[in-house]
Amino acid sequence: MSNLIDTLLNVMVFAFIGLLIWLYFKSRPSEPND
Amino acid sequence: MFKNPLLAVALLITGAISVWGIIDTVSLSATANYLVGIEFTSRAWFIMLTVSFLLITSIFLAVSRYGRVKLGRDDDEPEFSTVSWLSMLFAAGMGVGLLYWGTAEPLTHYLTIAEFADARTAASKALSITNFHWGLHAWAIYALTGLVIAYFGFRLECPSLVSAPIIKVFGENRITGSVGWLCDLLAIVAIAIGLGGSVAMGVFQVKEGIDALFGLQNTGMVMVFGIFIVLCASYILPLTVDLGRGMAILSNAAMLIAGGLMIYVLLFGPTHFIMGGIVQAIGDYFAKVLPHGFQTYSFMDEHIQQWFQSWTLTYMVWWLAWAPFVGVFIARISKGRTIREFILGVILVPTVFSILWFGVFGSVGFHGALKLGLPLLDIVRDNVSGVTFFVLEQLPLSKLTVAAVVIAAFLFIVTSVVSAAFVLGMFSTGGDLNPSTKIKLSWGAILGALGLVMILSGSIDAIKSIIALGALPFVFIVLLLVVCLLKMLKAEKVDVS
Repeated sequence: MSNLIDTLLNVMVFAFIGLLIWLYFKSRPSEPND
Repeated sequence: MFKNPLLAVALLITGAISVWGIIDTVSLSATANYLVGIEFTSRAWFIMLTVSFLLITSIFLAVSRYGRVKLGRDDDEPEFSTVSWLSMLFAAGMGVGLLYWGTAEPLTHYLTIAEFADARTAASKALSITNFHWGLHAWAIYALTGLVIAYFGFRLECPSLVSAPIIKVFGENRITGSVGWLCDLLAIVAIAIGLGGSVAMGVFQVKEGIDALFGLQNTGMVMVFGIFIVLCASYILPLTVDLGRGMAILSNAAMLIAGGLMIYVLLFGPTHFIMGGIVQAIGDYFAKVLPHGFQTYSFMDEHIQQWFQSWTLTYMVWWLAWAPFVGVFIARISKGRTIREFILGVILVPTVFSILWFGVFGSVGFHGALKLGLPLLDIVRDNVSGVTFFVLEQLPLSKLTVAAVVIAAFLFIVTSVVSAAFVLGMFSTGGDLNPSTKIKLSWGAILGALGLVMILSGSIDAIKSIIALGALPFVFIVLLLVVCLLKMLKAEKVDVS
């Protein structure tokens, strides 16, 4: 059980880091897409 | 008041935590311990990686072309002279924590390290770890949070809210609105709980000081509650009237007392030993500061892992809990500064002061324990709040210095609570720079109630766990804010000529 919680907590962190990287490179709403 | 859902929910959550803690302190402490234990075990690597990332990002921003960007319009000039700006940063770095832990923290680490190393190595290592906890990494957390608030507030003219950068960068829609709202809420909860912990620590310290001053013994919780009531009465008045200037005077007075105390201990204590300790601490600290930020003690035994969680990790999330509060303060005084000036000032000045402070109080503690054979290590084990006073009692004019610590600790708590009630009022009313007296008093009451919860928990470890629990979400929020900042800076047209 504790291993499952550990895995879930870390997967959330990996997903969050992925989200941050995506947000950083995503164009801003007011920016042109190119 | 309840037409504002953020304010209502924030008061409800913090009020519920206060009521839970007052009714059943043991279960609140146990729950906080359990949850923080799980979080720290699973995400220690992430917390350390985050604080190191924040420091490295700060250094990058300071030395890169973005360092030229002004926190304000391009023609804005700094509001304060460099000297008074630096002295205000220096004041932000001071607080009841330094008075409390000055000697106690290095000696506590010494007790752990001495199990593995000889006495002299352990003392040097203990001082170096203490400096790590209070040094560049801590101030990088404050610097980047303050930088985000200042950049978006002064240059892009957004309200001083945690949610403002998110909405500015990603546009106003249902998702950013909800995420921003949640971030504002979590920032409020983190500040309120963090401040509650400082209130409790300050009350414990003032109680030990009064006991030492008047030779009282076994005053126990009666004295603690007496001090707590006087403290609450002391901050109600400043919350009802606009005492902006008065609070600055009180805060400066506390800072001068603390600074004077440090110089006094340096001169009247074992000066050559202290200076040797400071110089060695500077070398040890700066030689290892970056690798130390990546140290997770993963390959060490359970005992060291526990120590790492209850000290290093707790400190790092504690700084995160305070970041929106201190960030707002340092942002407000930094309009017109460049990013380079801002980062170098915010990170270096308080770090240098902390190294000097722990160098003085830590070295005088080690001198007493290792050279004079004083029972300081026993006092650290039995009554950590009394360590500073025991050290001062070994020096001349101890009544005066003990009274100075009591007064400074009291002033630090009063000014912190008043400032925090203002920042909480501002955050919970959509960035209103003049929150109503009713709202400030509501926050003052919640801060008092949270302080009472921490006092009832009766142990510094329980206080640390409760604070860590409130602050943990802020690890994620700070990173999101930094992404917002970096994204906007990318769009800046920086003149490199």
